[in-house]
Amino acid sequence: MTDTAMAATALGKRFGRRDSWALRACAFRLPVGRVCAVVGPNGAGKSTLLALAAGLLAPTEGSVTVLGTDPASARARVGYVAQDKPLYPQLTVAETLLVGADLNPARWDAATAERIVSAGELDPKARIRTLSGGQRTRVALALALGKRPELLLLDEPMADLDPLARHELMGTLMAQAAQHGTTIVMSSHVVAELEDSCDHLLLIGGGGVRLAGEIDELLAAHARVSAPADSLEAGALDAHTVVESRVTGRQLTALLRPSGPVADHWRPTAPSLEDLVLAYLRNPQAAPLTPRPPGGGRRMNPTDTPRPPPRGPGCCPGCCACTVPDWPSGPLSSPSSPSPCWRCGARSVTRRPTAGGSTAPASRTGRAVTTRTRSSGTGTCTRTPRSP
Amino acid sequence: MTAVATARVPRRPEVAGDATGARWGVARTVLRLHRAALLVWGLAVLGLTGWLVWLTEVTADEARAKQEACDRSTRDWCDMSVGVLGYSAPMDGIAALTANAFVAVAAFAGGALIGRELENGTARLAWSQGITPARWLTAKLAGAALAVTLGVTASVLVFRWAWKPNRVLIGTDWMGDGVFVALGPAAVAYALCALALGTLTALLTRRGLPALAVSATLTWLLAQVLVHFRTSLWPARTRTSATEEVHAPDRAWQVDQGALVHGSPAPRVNHWGCDGTAGETRRCLDDLGVTGYYATYHPESHFWPLHLVETGILLAVAAAATAVSFRLLRHRTA
Repeated sequence: MTDTAMAATALGKRFGRRDSWALRACAFRLPVGRVCAVVGPNGAGKSTLLALAAGLLAPTEGSVTVLGTDPASARARVGYVAQDKPLYPQLTVAETLLVGADLNPARWDAATAERIVSAGELDPKARIRTLSGGQRTRVALALALGKRPELLLLDEPMADLDPLARHELMGTLMAQAAQHGTTIVMSSHVVAELEDSCDHLLLIGGGGVRLAGEIDELLAAHARVSAPADSLEAGALDAHTVVESRVTGRQLTALLRPSGPVADHWRPTAPSLEDLVLAYLRNPQAAPLTPRPPGGGRRMNPTDTPRPPPRGPGCCPGCCACTVPDWPSGPLSSPSSPSPCWRCGARSVTRRPTAGGSTAPASRTGRAVTTRTRSSGTGTCTRTPRSP
Repeated sequence: MTAVATARVPRRPEVAGDATGARWGVARTVLRLHRAALLVWGLAVLGLTGWLVWLTEVTADEARAKQEACDRSTRDWCDMSVGVLGYSAPMDGIAALTANAFVAVAAFAGGALIGRELENGTARLAWSQGITPARWLTAKLAGAALAVTLGVTASVLVFRWAWKPNRVLIGTDWMGDGVFVALGPAAVAYALCALALGTLTALLTRRGLPALAVSATLTWLLAQVLVHFRTSLWPARTRTSATEEVHAPDRAWQVDQGALVHGSPAPRVNHWGCDGTAGETRRCLDDLGVTGYYATYHPESHFWPLHLVETGILLAVAAAATAVSFRLLRHRTA
């Protein structure tokens, strides 16, 4: 049993013979059991990546592995819902579920599929062509979840849904993730929505991976600083990796990946996920942050510059008294390595169901709960490693 | 803990019977998806064969009775019109329908069977369920091929049964374009070739309507080429005579006929322009170099060789198109 749900190496897909690469030099690794958000602008290659992982497209170069094998071999264990939720318009809802049962004889879970459909008060005898966009999404999700996938790939799953249905179906998805340990990969434009339900991020831009890793760790590896422009000596920011810097009036605001202590008068704060995503999307030239391949070796993305080694006790963004671990010695997203950097006063408690599925404190959405509490003032640095 | 544990649905272990289950599951799915087309096809075959039975059992007897009545009277002119209007025209029509059913098959294969699924993404829906793209295509092609083969075979058998005893009443004999195909397995081969070419076109265009139009046109053009070269598919026989014009025997398919100039066939030589007394005609023919006459033809016994060679060509094209389709699909998907 592999601990990697999905991994890509130098993955590239070109459509047509011209130089129109939808995805290129894409490399990342997603551990099992995660709920991963795939974020990126329109045309970034999100749908292409999901279709490649689902075995619906063959890569032009590189490779993608799914559940420890190639996408074709993993087909039976992978669920996929395409962006436009294609379904057979001539069939009824009940017949569509029968198609799912017929095509997945070894895995089909009729009860789950019927429960999802009946929660939307859909008439089983209704033809698919008479359904609204949201109702079709529900049937498509029922088909994908009915095969009890180990990896669920969802391309913009909630785009057609009203807020109530969106909330309810997201809850169903998270319950599935918590109950069966299903890895979920979903692409979306609504970053704020993903922050609540996802714990892993894959930011795709310009056809490649810009950010990859646990959301908590990615946020912790960045700091938003704000200081009067004239208070900064020339080249002060150069010690850090600057993702974005803007001067508004006399105030300079920047999003950094600190390489060492950040001066107090820069007023470092933790960025929100949306801040982070937008900063990287607005600045395509910013160096990507992707995890190292397991076992060391060079960074997967050649454009990423190596960080200088930390000098003694340092400080993470928003943190003042904790020691920076040997950053970035281990893969960011490896479940076994502790978080490389801890935010000051930010307590991150993640409770996940154990392998036996015995302790899952079901949240409102049915998923394992992640709570963050932030203390103000000087505070102490609390290191609360994730339980694996 | 118990709540979670009981809520967890136990995974059914994969058993050997699942392979069989999957096979029937895919077959059921294909049937479910295309049952409207299957119904229309079944009704068309039923309608056509029913009409043939009616023509044979009712109309042919009436036509023959009218001809006999006509023969007993002094009027001859009714012989032609009775057959043509009452029996021969519908039989020719049915032969043409049976022989050209492949155009509809090509349109269906390109448009509805494969093209539409690729266009609106439902093919991907199937591939993201438990079956591979290759199995999806296999199931679709096998299902359609079975329906097409059964339907066309039934039409051919009924047509042969209807045609044989009443061929004297029909205007066109075995060499007629429609009748030639409708009398044997070439009709099935045309339909299977259309299925394969429609599939390939759909995989290439990935659009329903263009695939429908292109595949129907393509198979029709292929049929026109085969019709054009049909007489060359088997060596024809030649009769010659030094003294008088030669004609093909009864019920033979005459391919060519004319004069021999210095021993070689010269169909363009205007030997029939030589007229007058016997001496004048001889002189005229000598001037043209005419040394005899010939007729090239396929006797009725050549029907099966000609028919089977054409069937073989069509099946070869179908096999090649199917192989390319699978290759293309395998190349495109993981």
